[in-house]
Amino acid sequence: MIKKIIVFAGLILLTAALCTAEIWKAPDQEKAKERAKEVVPFIKEYKDDCQITRRMSLIDAGISIKNVQDVYFLLDSPVIKKREDHYEPVRFAHKRHAALTKDCTKCHHFRPKDENALETTRCSACHQDSFNPDHPERIGLKAAYHQQCMKCHQEEAKGPVDCKGCHLRNVPDHKNLVKLPDNADPFQVTAECLRCHDTQAEDMLKTAHWLWKGPSPYTTGHRKDIMHGKGTTALNNY
Amino acid sequence: MQLSRRSFFKIMGAAGASVTALPPSANAWKSKAPPDPYGCLVDLTRCVGCRKCEEACAEVNGLPTPERPNCQCIVFDKKRRPDDKAYTVVNRYFTGKLDQFDKPLPTYAKVQCMHCQDPACVSACIVGALTKDETGAVRYDATKCIGCRYCMVACPFEIPAYEYHDPITPRVIKCSFCYDRISKKGGLPGCATICPTEALTFGKRETIVKVAQKRLEENPGKYIDHVYGEKEVGGTSWLYISSVPFEKVNLPVLSDKPSPKLSETIQHSLFSYLWSPLALFGVLGALMYKSNKNQGEPENKGGY
Repeated sequence: MIKKIIVFAGLILLTAALCTAEIWKAPDQEKAKERAKEVVPFIKEYKDDCQITRRMSLIDAGISIKNVQDVYFLLDSPVIKKREDHYEPVRFAHKRHAALTKDCTKCHHFRPKDENALETTRCSACHQDSFNPDHPERIGLKAAYHQQCMKCHQEEAKGPVDCKGCHLRNVPDHKNLVKLPDNADPFQVTAECLRCHDTQAEDMLKTAHWLWKGPSPYTTGHRKDIMHGKGTTALNNY
Repeated sequence: MQLSRRSFFKIMGAAGASVTALPPSANAWKSKAPPDPYGCLVDLTRCVGCRKCEEACAEVNGLPTPERPNCQCIVFDKKRRPDDKAYTVVNRYFTGKLDQFDKPLPTYAKVQCMHCQDPACVSACIVGALTKDETGAVRYDATKCIGCRYCMVACPFEIPAYEYHDPITPRVIKCSFCYDRISKKGGLPGCATICPTEALTFGKRETIVKVAQKRLEENPGKYIDHVYGEKEVGGTSWLYISSVPFEKVNLPVLSDKPSPKLSETIQHSLFSYLWSPLALFGVLGALMYKSNKNQGEPENKGGY
């Protein structure tokens, strides 16, 4: 009897401890998330220096890669979210990019006109909402990110230039999209998926998963085959 | 046939009266362009061919999802044009430009209604189904449209499409400049909202022209020194700047004269106060009267 009570009390204590225990979160990730939510005051005027002058003034101020504090940012802002929300924000490895390029001015291309301001400012201070009638030539934050990243990735022939290379797609909540009866059979489920994903289904029909034959560049002895597979020349080899 | 002194004066009098009835001011053609329209600048050097504008356009305007929305490969193999299912499409052109590895560089060009300042389609529409709005949008009213498709013939950019598959209630389909959105304060067209690289810049046309010219000035050698649409066919609300010649990305070479100027001048000077039909029938009547008087009497005596 006493044993039972002890076990019971132990179980209760264990569940209580589990409920109160906090889920561990990566501190720098939380920091990046908080930082991405901030909207800083708009910098209206900037100092129109050329890149060489910028580099010189950064050397004069003693700023180099060693001063990079933040490891990574989430390239996200309420300024962008206000207009559209189709993709997950990009996780930008700030320190890594700084170490690779060894040149702060590639991104920090201008500085505020205010002499007291910091030499390097965050992107979202100058680039905010698109098509600001007061500053029509200033591009918005989303465009600034895309132009900067894609231009450099193309020039250096390094880093992704397609959407999914940097972004995860914002997958819409399928809870309301999928309409299935209770205890649906497998055919009903497949048909429901195909209702929206018809192009993916057609694409799948052209793959080796469906045809059981296709090019096999990674199979020894069949590297040059274009119609290799169970459908033609191969056998199951369990 | 010999003109008597009396009939000569009759004819000349009638002709003179009809000429004086024509007010001289009716000849001068006046632009009906709105004073402060919106505009949109397409910078072809910034476009990366992601086709998000197509997707956003379809979503905003309730059109079917574009063909292979995430594909940037086989969709570009054929040249597309706006049709009854899409207000806008992006095409890819290889114009002979090469990158540093000698790989051909593509140029992407978005096509949609240019929303001309003096639209030929509005001028050609015989029922007023197409109108030029204060915002700069060329608007279409399907309830007024009779399906004559004159707009499709008149358009210098060959933009309006037609729902040929619908025998009962076919409509003309073309970009609406997202009128419902831009007429509200701070509203943007669907395509300009989503463009990731700001290849599309939306704003007042006046500002946009200045932005375009500034970009040409500040990047010498990058762009062709011309803002397409600033003066073409009297100016359009959609403007293009590019690093490759415009005719290579299927933007036709057009004169600076507004398309409706010639046709409307002819129509309005010929038919103002119906003077030309009046003069024609006046002259014909006079001739008939004269010839009847001269020849009618002896023939009637012949027993007709």
